[in-house]
Amino acid sequence: MLFAGIDIGSLTAEAVVIEDGNIVASEIMSVLPNPVDSAKEVMKRTLEKSGIRLEQIKYTVSTGYGREKIQSQGMAQENISEISCHGLGAYTLNPEVRTIIDIGGQDAKVIKMDSSGKLENFVMNDKCAAGTGHFLEVMSRALEVSLDQLGLMSLGSKKPVEMSNRCTIYIETEVIHFLQRGVSKVDIAAGINKAMAERVLALARRVNPEKEVMLTGGVAKNAAVKSELQKMLNIRLVSPKIDPQIIGAFGAAVLAQGKGGIR
Amino acid sequence: MITMGCDIGSLFTKAVILNGDDLIASRIRKTTGNIADEMDGFLKALMLEAGIERSELRCLAGTGSGASLLKRADFIEDTINCISAASAFNIPEVQLAIDIGGQSITSVLLNEEGEVVNFMRNDKCAAGSGRFLEVMSDKLNVKIEDIDKVVSRAARPMEMSAQCGVFAESEVITHVNEGEDTADIIAGVCTSVANMVVAQGRRFAAADHYTITGGVARVNSIIKIIREKLNGTYHGFPHDPQLAAAFGAALLAQSELVRGWYGAERK
Repeated sequence: MLFAGIDIGSLTAEAVVIEDGNIVASEIMSVLPNPVDSAKEVMKRTLEKSGIRLEQIKYTVSTGYGREKIQSQGMAQENISEISCHGLGAYTLNPEVRTIIDIGGQDAKVIKMDSSGKLENFVMNDKCAAGTGHFLEVMSRALEVSLDQLGLMSLGSKKPVEMSNRCTIYIETEVIHFLQRGVSKVDIAAGINKAMAERVLALARRVNPEKEVMLTGGVAKNAAVKSELQKMLNIRLVSPKIDPQIIGAFGAAVLAQGKGGIR
Repeated sequence: MITMGCDIGSLFTKAVILNGDDLIASRIRKTTGNIADEMDGFLKALMLEAGIERSELRCLAGTGSGASLLKRADFIEDTINCISAASAFNIPEVQLAIDIGGQSITSVLLNEEGEVVNFMRNDKCAAGSGRFLEVMSDKLNVKIEDIDKVVSRAARPMEMSAQCGVFAESEVITHVNEGEDTADIIAGVCTSVANMVVAQGRRFAAADHYTITGGVARVNSIIKIIREKLNGTYHGFPHDPQLAAAFGAALLAQSELVRGWYGAERK
């Protein structure tokens, strides 16, 4: 029996179809202006790719932007918050996970779950760019290196610079001053990644992170931020086995499977 | 007695020469990466403008986040004391001085003697700072000194939803791409700055008479919004508000001389 989850984000839309808890089809695309259209399109693409017919899917859960509307338009039987879906998705992938640190392009969330995968607590930062992917984008531009390089090059640093500010705008100025003084880009990059990890740490500390801690979102690809954060938390960070972008949709599909009678 | 106050801020460096109570010369320039080496020239030009010799200058006081770069300073004073001195001297009834600098917003609560009773400073977040205004006006291609002119033709001021400077920058770019009028956008930016200042000022709600100093206070559109939202009686700083901290430093240098702490051994 097949179950589906649809997750509409601010930038991308994802759909996942599962059978017996295993992913049989998934799709990621850029969002359309209307979340209902995004849901229709991403589902259509998922089905086309896998040769599955819509009637074969027994239950669908929607999450993310416009999740209520997607349900009321008949595209899903139920809608659940993205926090719950993200949590359950990560928990299903690794039942040892109790904390998820998700760093997106515009925000950062830390989700705590109990041993049954139920949402316990969460904190979110969508007010300040420091500690989100946007921070690294600004810094990579200031340093004139790619986002990938920013993570890689700093691993070779022996003397990371100390940033004296927290605000993205002020740190950008600091970076420019370091460059003017001839400090090596490697050491500046290391300082940037450290400052980033410190902001994420400040958010994570508000919920007292417990093992296992899973790091998701695009910033998880930055090995330097990950290793700094591990050091600061003194906890090893685990990574998801699937594309971190589809964890929310996967969690929605798992919920659909539970509602559909099979768990 | 001739004294000089020099305020090396994060964005601008300001200097003031006082002869007793009278401001006889002032100068403002950008703070660059090698400001330390350029200070001598800057101060010389100011003395030339004032028509005084180095030997006539009895005391030089430094302030601002870059004050330590002023190697010739006789003493360094915190900006909080400088702002309060300048405000209390120029506006005797003032109870609250709010300074909007390049990288900070500082509120200073004063008693009847003009002494600092309490203060609050936000230098952690760029929202509402001079740097914030600079980033936004850069994106809109409006010079800071032209903001008032541009805002005056705003028909429907926008409302900014982001407080963070980085997110607000993205928001401004989105508005530009959607074809919104520059005047309406910059009016929204001014409201955003004013809101941050008002939020801090309201922490000292008991203060009635207030003044606003710092570079951002030169933008009348922002002052206007603050006055609408912040209770109390506003008093404009009688000199260029960007000079307030430097003015205060020069004043404190005067009082140090009166107390005989400095300058006795100088020619």
